Amino acid sequence: MLQNIAIGQYVPGQSFLHRADPRSKLLFIILFATLIFLANNTITYAILIGFTLYAALLSRLSLSYILNSLKPVWILILFTVVLHIFITKGGTVYFQWGWFTVEEQGVRQAIFISLRLGLLILISSLLTLTTSPIDLTEGLERLLGPLGKIGIPVHDIALMMSIALRFIPTLMEETDKIIKAQTARGANFTSGSLVRRAKNLIPIAIPLFVSAFRRAEELALAMEARGYRGGVGRTRLNKLTFTWRDVVVAVASVILVIVIGWWRT
Amino acid sequence: MQITFDQVSHIYAKGTPFERVALHNISLTIPSGSFVGIIGHTGSGKSTLIQHLNGLLMPSTGQITLGDAVITPKRRLSHSQRRDIGLVFQYPEHQLFEETVAKDVAFGPLNFDLPTEMAEVRVKESLEIVGLDYATIKDRSPFHLSGGQMRRVALAGVLAMQPKVLVLDEPTAGLDPAGRVTILEGIYRIHREQNLTTLLVTHSMEEAARYADYLLVMAQGQVALQGKPEEVFMQVDRLRELSLDVPETVALVSHMNQMLPDKASLPSSLYREEELIAHLLERLSVPKEG
Repeated sequence: MLQNIAIGQYVPGQSFLHRADPRSKLLFIILFATLIFLANNTITYAILIGFTLYAALLSRLSLSYILNSLKPVWILILFTVVLHIFITKGGTVYFQWGWFTVEEQGVRQAIFISLRLGLLILISSLLTLTTSPIDLTEGLERLLGPLGKIGIPVHDIALMMSIALRFIPTLMEETDKIIKAQTARGANFTSGSLVRRAKNLIPIAIPLFVSAFRRAEELALAMEARGYRGGVGRTRLNKLTFTWRDVVVAVASVILVIVIGWWRT
Repeated sequence: MQITFDQVSHIYAKGTPFERVALHNISLTIPSGSFVGIIGHTGSGKSTLIQHLNGLLMPSTGQITLGDAVITPKRRLSHSQRRDIGLVFQYPEHQLFEETVAKDVAFGPLNFDLPTEMAEVRVKESLEIVGLDYATIKDRSPFHLSGGQMRRVALAGVLAMQPKVLVLDEPTAGLDPAGRVTILEGIYRIHREQNLTTLLVTHSMEEAARYADYLLVMAQGQVALQGKPEEVFMQVDRLRELSLDVPETVALVSHMNQMLPDKASLPSSLYREEELIAHLLERLSVPKEG
């Protein structure tokens, strides 16, 4: 039931994207997002689309699975398209019906803005698809490291993030199991009035909370038993190291910046 | 209630990189009233198999028949048909949610539109079947009970629906030996008294040997072996191949048979502990009388 949700899903692999350092991937995403907003004509968008598709190829995941990540936001994209087509005016009039017109600028904006949204989501889901949650939080922790000097508990925040990410699938599984168990006892979650349906959630929510607290307690105990005492003086088993892949990413970034800067109008 | 699987396959997460075939062309028939032991390692497809019985999972291909009801990839079980199949999941105590034990056990019957008074009777009956005293336990919070008691309350919650088929996924996992025996003996008693069709998923060959009159051995999403317990236990080599062991009773019988002359060998149908002991005592007492 719930296992088909692909948000934040990591697919293990050995591709170029999988093995690049999470820090360079994170920095690249920030740069790429900026570039998406700087692009403003057909050629710059074409370059960005081409680049995203090439990155998708590099991940060696099936394209249809990556495109799946657009599913949760397609309504938003559709809404943007419709809004721009109807409201943004200017340029040649393509279509007229009474006071209602579809004009060149509207179509242009509709395409560009939806491309922006789509590209942003695709590139960031490429990040989560090819980076394990542990790598992702470690990358983030290292990138935010300097903030620790001004008293921000970077390590604790990163740890909380990785625990939260780690337990999403576990809690999903748990929810699935509880839903099944209560369904087997005749609970009905899909029919009845709204109030009734909300009431029907109690048999799921309570066991779920109970088990989440139990898990939290067990995890805390297990961490203490293994000597966890916060980030101070903690060493790492797998240190992040930059490799030739990250040089490639850096070079690609520079080229992209130059190319987009050159062609944008 | 007779249960038939006809070429049933189940594929998880179809069309994603996580796609996995959990059941592969399963065909089997379980006669009404039998006590079936389902054995297999983690990931062999046991849990997937039993979730099909209740329509919680739909087969990807194939057809399942439960009495008169038919489940196909497109045809679900209706709400009322679901009542006939009591499914007890692993660690069922994790589904408890009500304020009191009585309310929790009544959840199932009330969902199937049973009047409150009748539900109360059922609650009382089923709590007593699992060996809990209705009067002392009914108003307690299920979260303040011991692990074993919680499990029994959860089991009572399923029994209160009065299913015709009882499916149990490792009901004894994590219990102490005494708790195991209490739960299993209770289940066996209900099985006989109410003439249920019972499916018991277990890791333990001993449990299977003790109660089951039919065994299904699952491996890699397929039925690797099936038949009466003595037939299954005879195939020691095949079981070893699946890294499963025969029960200690069967191992003992075959060990003794190696040393005994052929005509004095013990029958392989002696896989239940009591029967084996009785047989051995009888054999040993013969010379004394004569």
